[in-house]
Amino acid sequence: MRARSVTLQVNGQTHYLKIPAGQILVETLREALDLGGTRNSCDIGMCGTCTVLVDGKAVSSCLTLTAQVENKPITTIEGLSQNGMLHPVQQAFIDHGAYQCAYCTPGLILSTVALLDEQPNPDDVAIRKYLAGNLCRCGSYVNILNAVRACRTLDDQSRSV
Amino acid sequence: MSFDFLQPDSLSGALEALAAYGDEAKVLAGGTAVVLMLQQRLIAPAALINIERVPDLNYINLKPEGMHIGPLTKLRDIERSTAIQEHCPLLSQTCGEVANVRIRNQATLGGNLAEADYASDPPTTLLALEAQVTTTSVRGTRCLALQDFHIGFFTTTLEPDELITDIFIPACPLESRMTYLKYKSRSSEDRPCTGVAALAAFDGKTCTELRLAVGAACEVPQRLPNIENMAKGQTLNDELVGEIAAGYAESIETLEDIRGSAWYRTQMIRTHVQRVLEDVRNGHR
Amino acid sequence: MAIGKSIPMLDSVARVTGTVPYASNLKLPDMLVGKVFRSNVPHARITKLDVSAAEQVPGVVAIVTATDFSGEGPPNLHFGSTYQDQPIVAADRIRFIGEPVALIAAESTAIAEQAIDLIELEYEELPAVFDAEEATQPGAPQLHGAFPNNVLRHSKLRHGDIEAGFAAAVKIIEEVFNSPAAQQVSLETQVAVAQWKDNKLTVWTGSQSPYTVRRVLAAIFDLDLEDVRVIVPPLGGGFGAKGNIRTQPLAAALAWKVGDRPVKLVLTRAEEFFTVTKHAAKIVMKSGVRRDGTFTARKITIFWNGGAYASSSAHLVPAGMLRAIGPYRIPAVRVDSYGIYTNLPIAGAYRGAMSSQGVFAHESHMDTIAHQLGIDPLTIRKKNLLHTDDTFATGEQLHDIHFVRCLESAADGLGWHEPFQRENGTAKKRGRGVAIMMKNTIANSSSECRITLDAAGRVTLFISTVEMGQGGHTAMAQIAAEALGIPVEAVSVQGPDTAKTPPDTQTASSRNTQMMGNAVLDGAASLRRQLAEAAAPIIEWLPEELSVADGYVFVTSQPQERIVYAEVLRRNNITALTANGKFSTNVGKLDSETGQGISTPDWHQGAGACEVEVDTQTGKVTVLRYHSSSFAGLVINPMLAGLQNDGNVIFGLGASLLEEIAIDAGQITNPNLSDYMIPSFLDIPVELKNVSLEAEGSSFHGIGEMTLPPVAPAIANAVYDAVGVRIRDLPLTAEKVLRTIEEQNDHAR
Repeated sequence: MRARSVTLQVNGQTHYLKIPAGQILVETLREALDLGGTRNSCDIGMCGTCTVLVDGKAVSSCLTLTAQVENKPITTIEGLSQNGMLHPVQQAFIDHGAYQCAYCTPGLILSTVALLDEQPNPDDVAIRKYLAGNLCRCGSYVNILNAVRACRTLDDQSRSV
Repeated sequence: MSFDFLQPDSLSGALEALAAYGDEAKVLAGGTAVVLMLQQRLIAPAALINIERVPDLNYINLKPEGMHIGPLTKLRDIERSTAIQEHCPLLSQTCGEVANVRIRNQATLGGNLAEADYASDPPTTLLALEAQVTTTSVRGTRCLALQDFHIGFFTTTLEPDELITDIFIPACPLESRMTYLKYKSRSSEDRPCTGVAALAAFDGKTCTELRLAVGAACEVPQRLPNIENMAKGQTLNDELVGEIAAGYAESIETLEDIRGSAWYRTQMIRTHVQRVLEDVRNGHR
Repeated sequence: MAIGKSIPMLDSVARVTGTVPYASNLKLPDMLVGKVFRSNVPHARITKLDVSAAEQVPGVVAIVTATDFSGEGPPNLHFGSTYQDQPIVAADRIRFIGEPVALIAAESTAIAEQAIDLIELEYEELPAVFDAEEATQPGAPQLHGAFPNNVLRHSKLRHGDIEAGFAAAVKIIEEVFNSPAAQQVSLETQVAVAQWKDNKLTVWTGSQSPYTVRRVLAAIFDLDLEDVRVIVPPLGGGFGAKGNIRTQPLAAALAWKVGDRPVKLVLTRAEEFFTVTKHAAKIVMKSGVRRDGTFTARKITIFWNGGAYASSSAHLVPAGMLRAIGPYRIPAVRVDSYGIYTNLPIAGAYRGAMSSQGVFAHESHMDTIAHQLGIDPLTIRKKNLLHTDDTFATGEQLHDIHFVRCLESAADGLGWHEPFQRENGTAKKRGRGVAIMMKNTIANSSSECRITLDAAGRVTLFISTVEMGQGGHTAMAQIAAEALGIPVEAVSVQGPDTAKTPPDTQTASSRNTQMMGNAVLDGAASLRRQLAEAAAPIIEWLPEELSVADGYVFVTSQPQERIVYAEVLRRNNITALTANGKFSTNVGKLDSETGQGISTPDWHQGAGACEVEVDTQTGKVTVLRYHSSSFAGLVINPMLAGLQNDGNVIFGLGASLLEEIAIDAGQITNPNLSDYMIPSFLDIPVELKNVSLEAEGSSFHGIGEMTLPPVAPAIANAVYDAVGVRIRDLPLTAEKVLRTIEEQNDHAR
């Protein structure tokens, strides 16, 4: 497979990489950058464990060629906490026990961050609809809903990425 | 997999590249379909032409005669566009039903149309909206009505060297009511088992025009003008609604897949055509 | 007090920052990628397997085929936890589509896939059989010579006089229920990383049964147990799929051929479907009842579709025999539980192993009986439910039974006794249903732990409990913290690692809380004794005059005379105290001809009540409200218990309404999450509630599975209540419901 040089902006850092030309973003993140919080569970964009934010928007990194996102700001779960402090959404997930095996959790947290950026005070219907593309096999949905509801009271500064 | 990865930054560059590679190239827009097919080894193109950098293909332009939407416009942007929500809510509603928010953030309207997936929502609605698709190549430009563009099972009339360069939706009649019903037989995250889009114009209680398209239950979205005409000049009473629903159910050849058998889809066409008509009758906008 | 507190899981920060060290994230120096070349035919004799071109691909380091096992001595080709009938790679025969035929170790996935494309396989196709009952008929293709008629196990239960029972019945009702194959779909797929060094094997793997893995790998390679080390990091879900032994032999065989570099084998989502499934089952249930709704007899025949190799079916089939009977007083019971080989992927444990299928049958059946006799479904159950001291169909006397309470709790939560409107003039009709389950756990099993206390007062628990999201480690830490009177923050947990943590039977069958919990209590008690012994000379009182609690060793009669644990160690110049704990049950067994004896140390109990809405024009069933209850005995962590209960219900919704492995001539046609759909946020009831019941004097009971099996029958019963149709095979898809409604309407005309 042909190699390709790409410049990636991930979590505020610039990386100069040489990767197989057709590599998908989730593989680059996990293999070249050792960012294991982004996962690939279904290969087809259905489960959401591969969710990353590109320019603040949630996308499936298993359906994105790394070459497509050169020079675009990418945020993975590892980029959410600042200076060792958890992001308020991460804290809310802990406070409400919004996970079990936690394999889906990074994707859900990032999707929640993107949701709240768009809609700071979504109602339950909006929350369920927005997060419906992130599957949780353990079935933590009730606690996840509670965690996201709790984030609605946060001020703008602490919430955005 | 080994392919050339091109990223033209002009339309002419993109068209020349397409002309050079012919059907050895695959156009990459949002990528949700193409990357999936690459990963599943369903395609092995010699080149991927990423057209995301081609300028002036991502737009929503409102004109008196209708709306022009660029092929690179993301489904999510259509979903959230206040202009479209106001002037053509059927389209924003439909695009908001597609897959999940991540897909909608990446997938483009042009890409969706080029794929011609039967289990998809926008083509059905665009058919009801009488959309026109403009395609361009080095050889020139042509404009086709959607039903002449999307002609079969995953089949369009797009030539290997052509790009979709515009989607035009004529202005909807004043006082028209419209809705899209996406029936999912399994999970909420399922593709449609049957999709029905309707647009009806009214003069008081009298229907002056009905456009009703059915998709996902058949190989290509379909309208049935003869049956639509039954509504012209009539009130959409229960009996007429039933007749129209039966007409669609009886006339459309349905297919079978994991979401339902052909028999089931015929029932779903009947049920959902009826429900959609009841919705527009009751003032849904 | 740590017990009863809803503290967050110990590694919560890792969970929300994406840093949990799942096996799928493991990277070792010089690691190779392992991939599997699989069969595409369900039953065949291999005539040619040529991997020479594949071996030439640059970057391919080793390829394993059956010829690697043909010499004298290890490795042994066939393995299995009970019967060694499964080849690591197919030798002369292929028995299911997806069966491993060759293994490749390469520098990258792309190279391994390139090599797979070059492997040449030729075969002579053989007739195949896919239906379990059909496989037992004369003339069916035989999968294994040692098992005539493809019956891998026939478990029997004979209790009371069945003939007399049916003779005494006023009414006899017989129904047939079908559950299809389904997949556990843990989001992290199966992973095994194997490495050899100096003829010793280390495996890092997401497994629920590290000690079974160790034992079987040792048998394959003729090693002493101590020379096989199994390390299990937290799992991204298990649900039974990661029990027993799965891909570990493949990774170990590849690593053995490679030499010393580690090999990592991670399954793709599609491969998960070919690796282990839930047993499809056909259950024939026949009951004799009196006019008052009590039972005289029940006869059950179960055909479990075990797939091509025995795996855990050998011991699951007897378990399934018990789980289909129901928590009711029935004087005469006869069960024949057949595990059957077919040319399909292997069936194994699936959350609530072998319960869902049986509970769907007996709870749907109970409502049929109720309706035929004109008795309310809740009333008929309460009339028949077993109580403490009653005798079950195994002849054993029951203890700590709370079935009625469970059922009433769920029903009351739903508002069963409140007026209920089924119709509202539209095409949508509402209905309600209840269901209850009873499950034995593993009769004879053992859990051990080691606890250390250091001079800073910190405690480390060394346990082989697998953390798979249920909070097993957290619960154990809470138990230890409470037993020692120290904050939970001072407790850390390590394991499983068969070189460092003592043995545990497995993390499955909802046994961990009770078994390992009691082992921890035992170890804590031992640690307290050691503390008293060590403190005695310092505090100058005899050990028996001292108490150890709340972080202190103190004089029982003069509690102000006390010292903290850390000081006990420091003053004694001890760096750490270590105590061992153990809890095992050996309650007995069941007679192989009659199924009589003792089957379990205690009973798992759970119930559910739901309200559904059926769209009679589409057949779509929506669960509006669901209340579940489980008997927990003593709840260690209410939040984690709630997550188990709700999680089980959501899991069960999938099996009830959405999930079915589609099979065409032995080929699974939907091995992906678009064609096989699991419940999403929008699929769950808007009202989902649960209760974990406790009882005075009761200790911890397992709750990992209990509220799952009642889901399907509760929904099926509610659908019947709504639209009067009885559907006896899962899932209750919209099309199936609509067809059944239409057939019923046709009959009515």
